[in-house]
Amino acid sequence: MQHQYLDEPVDVTVLFSGRRVRPIKVIWGRTVFVVDKLNLVHSAREGLDKVFFFSVSSRDSFMQLRLNCKNLEWRLIESFVP
Amino acid sequence: MTATSGKIILHLDFNTYFASVEQQANPFLRGKPIGIAGKGRENLQGGFGRVTVNGLNPERFKRSVITTASRQAKRSGVKTAMATWEALKICPDLIIIPGDPRKYAQITKRFLQILRSNCDEVEQFSTDEAFANITTASGGDYLGATLLAERIRNQVRDDCGEVATVSIGVGPNKLVAKLASESVKPNGLTVITPEAVEEFVLGRSLADVCGIGPRLESRLGAMGVTSIATLKKVALPILLREFKQYGLFLYQASRGIGPDYLEDDQADPLSIGQSYTFPYNLSNELEVKTNLLALADRVAWRLRKQGLAAKKISVFVRWDSFSGWSGSRAIKDPIYDGRELTDVGWSMILPRLRSGTINTKPGAMSFELAVRQLGISVSDLIQLDTAEPLLKKDQKKKNTLLALDKVSAKFGTGSWQRLSTLCTVFKERVSGWHYDHED
Repeated sequence: MQHQYLDEPVDVTVLFSGRRVRPIKVIWGRTVFVVDKLNLVHSAREGLDKVFFFSVSSRDSFMQLRLNCKNLEWRLIESFVP
Repeated sequence: MTATSGKIILHLDFNTYFASVEQQANPFLRGKPIGIAGKGRENLQGGFGRVTVNGLNPERFKRSVITTASRQAKRSGVKTAMATWEALKICPDLIIIPGDPRKYAQITKRFLQILRSNCDEVEQFSTDEAFANITTASGGDYLGATLLAERIRNQVRDDCGEVATVSIGVGPNKLVAKLASESVKPNGLTVITPEAVEEFVLGRSLADVCGIGPRLESRLGAMGVTSIATLKKVALPILLREFKQYGLFLYQASRGIGPDYLEDDQADPLSIGQSYTFPYNLSNELEVKTNLLALADRVAWRLRKQGLAAKKISVFVRWDSFSGWSGSRAIKDPIYDGRELTDVGWSMILPRLRSGTINTKPGAMSFELAVRQLGISVSDLIQLDTAEPLLKKDQKKKNTLLALDKVSAKFGTGSWQRLSTLCTVFKERVSGWHYDHED
């Protein structure tokens, strides 16, 4: 099991549906992570910025992503490989 | 306070709250023993750098405690408030997850919103529990109450996730509703009609009753009272003699009689307070005063947020010996500023601090009077006067506070602080106060 807290930029492909954003693919370095399930979304304020946290999983790992609404930057903040 | 006033009360309680929310977010934690550490993610070494939590636990987590254990961890003997090292000893497979208050605060907001949109009145009892008056919303009968409870449970599942389950109890008062929700876990729905109260309560254990803790249970045990049934046989005068006013609560609890009024937090509060147990004991007057000021600023912000001012101020100090002292004072002119709250509170605390001083140097205290916990609260609340103050200095103060309140509303408590309180750091707690900003 590997459980890490990180703060690394990632490229994320998303689907827009109404006012909802759904990540479907995450590219972290050379790793491509295909999202199978969006488990939980929550939001918070970080300084001036509103951020959303997406807890997503694939068949073999879990990731938590942070989307900064101001600069639209995605970061990988948690990775869990059982 | 009756079992037959006609009201219908619902109690909603999340099952292993923080652990369930984490299992909802991360499906690989489901079915596994996990423990949520009391120290939040800000306590990870190096902040949000690359940190491995499990396998190689950061040193700080070895001094943390478990705030919530998953059902699987509980089966292995892991309990709430158990030291992390102790929990890992009895359950080596335990996965430690640093608490994430932002996540939990948002789920709490979601379930309270569901209750407010479905019920007559709502009283938040804790981060993961609430009471609701559903007398009108249910149509006044227990079939309507059952259907409403089922609808609420489905809405919670839709908005908070299928893993973060709730247990719901419905009864004629808060005591019975809470007993009912706790009687079937997880994911239970238990409805107790007024006719069924007596039999239901007799089937519960003393420890099931909210308000009977281990110490009281042991005192009752010494009297030969080991169950609700035996408690019911004790005459009221005996309970009053032994437990004073609390004897009345015990007498009524054994008969399923409890309060049916709710303190709706949307209504004006009767008092507002804030207390904090420090990570180390404070043994310096200046430290105590600046921490009191920091707490008072939080109380004052909550006062102004609700458009209130206070006419009575109370302070509470717990010394390192665990004994405590409290005092209160009524004031003529209503207060809504943290600085003024501190002045009144400090004038009560200072003589106490100095009364046992061994070292008479300014700012020094004896160890007997080192402060472990400090609290300040306000009561006798009135509506804040919206008229412009007559004096220029009062106008300036009010305008400054209103500007600061806009900052607090947007970014939450603690988003600004006075220079003199810079040395006070209230650490994030899993169920803490850091995330009270407006979304």
